[in-house]
Amino acid sequence: MASTAADTTLIKCVVWDIDNTLLDGVYLESGERPPPANPALLGVVRELAGRGILQAVASKNPPAAAEYVEQLAGLDFAAAECGWDAKPDALGRIAAGLGVADVEMAFVDDDMLERAEVAAALPGVLVLTPEDAAEAASWPQFSPPVVTAEARRRGQLYAERSRRQTAASDFTGSRAEFLRHVGTRVTISAAAAADLPRLYELSLRTHQLNSSGEPVTEEELGSLLSSAGHEVTTVRLADDFGDDGLVGAAVLGLTEADETPGATVPAARTAPLAMTVPLVMMSCRALGRGTLDALLAWLCRSAAAAGADFLQVPCRLTDRNVPFRLALAGAGFRAEAGRRAPDGRVLFSRPLTDALTGALAGDLPAVPDYVVTPGQR
Amino acid sequence: MTATADQVAGALRDLLAEVTGRDELRTIPAATPLFGGGVGLDSLAGTLLLRQVQRRYGVDVAAADLNLDSLETLATLAAFIAARI
Repeated sequence: MASTAADTTLIKCVVWDIDNTLLDGVYLESGERPPPANPALLGVVRELAGRGILQAVASKNPPAAAEYVEQLAGLDFAAAECGWDAKPDALGRIAAGLGVADVEMAFVDDDMLERAEVAAALPGVLVLTPEDAAEAASWPQFSPPVVTAEARRRGQLYAERSRRQTAASDFTGSRAEFLRHVGTRVTISAAAAADLPRLYELSLRTHQLNSSGEPVTEEELGSLLSSAGHEVTTVRLADDFGDDGLVGAAVLGLTEADETPGATVPAARTAPLAMTVPLVMMSCRALGRGTLDALLAWLCRSAAAAGADFLQVPCRLTDRNVPFRLALAGAGFRAEAGRRAPDGRVLFSRPLTDALTGALAGDLPAVPDYVVTPGQR
Repeated sequence: MTATADQVAGALRDLLAEVTGRDELRTIPAATPLFGGGVGLDSLAGTLLLRQVQRRYGVDVAAADLNLDSLETLATLAAFIAARI
């Protein structure tokens, strides 16, 4: 069961049992002093967390058990499901809360019945014994090709997110008011060569807010960065709860519907000019935080300032990027029936100028006041 | 709106209040735009709303409506769902 070596889908989240797994004993049956940690497995938890793989617990214990293990491990779990629910239900809530798919999860439990229950209910999950897990750090599924600063802090970022969500549910007022209330800061700036590893990581990891529907290679991203015909833009996100770092990026094609690196901007034109955004990708941590809406608004206004009359975003429709389509629809983008990009993606577009007067379109989305754009730096 | 669409619109008001945490949405007029100045639906709240719609009515709005034009107002979404149940 253990080493399904043929399947090397990267694991994004490991869900650990506590009793007789992360702890050498049973939390509630050890009298006044909780049992000590299993040092080998806690080492694996720290090692994998350092690689940006989220660590979570699902345990039939009170929440204090998870807090106790967090103290032993010296890190925050991205999610902790403590209670007496069936393990598949706990894993389902963790997957939904963190935005990871079943095939991106591993589950470690000493109890054969719990393992069997998860394997039957969630066949995509990689189910491991504690003995398997002790070796897991050397497996390809647990060895992401790039590990960035953002990745190493991922567990902490999810813990901050959980505190933010609690504040949001206590807040009465609109989402926009909440974003201002918690000091949201979105910084849009030109990408630098040093951002390349993080951009590549975003292309591998983002699904819900991704227009391309598939990873872009590091070489392709590098050539977009150095291309005179493209502007690669990064988005950083922070608020009073914490700094999420580089959460998203977009590529603006400076020539009409052209994705060829090195192409130049046409000098004069008579027909309406369309600019294209061949790639938008954003971490799902930014969902609900006004960040993608801000980026789309800024792209529209930048393209308009550069003289474009239309902005088009080719989008591959997947069963996971409905959130991206919602943001497109919210920013006024529509697909024209039958219009496709050369690679088969559906072309969503919106007018930037009024066809008669040439003035900025009246319904152009506004860039919120918590956004810092390149000109303001 | 038809009687069914009226009922769906009523249920959608409650769903909108739940996914956004804003109780005042329980009383919005049917013509309220869902995006922008009206409800201000963002991609997170929109995704949660569509998930609840699918669970309750078995209508997969994202699969059936490429442009999500049905999300223009509360009334258009209610009519879209009512026509498919």
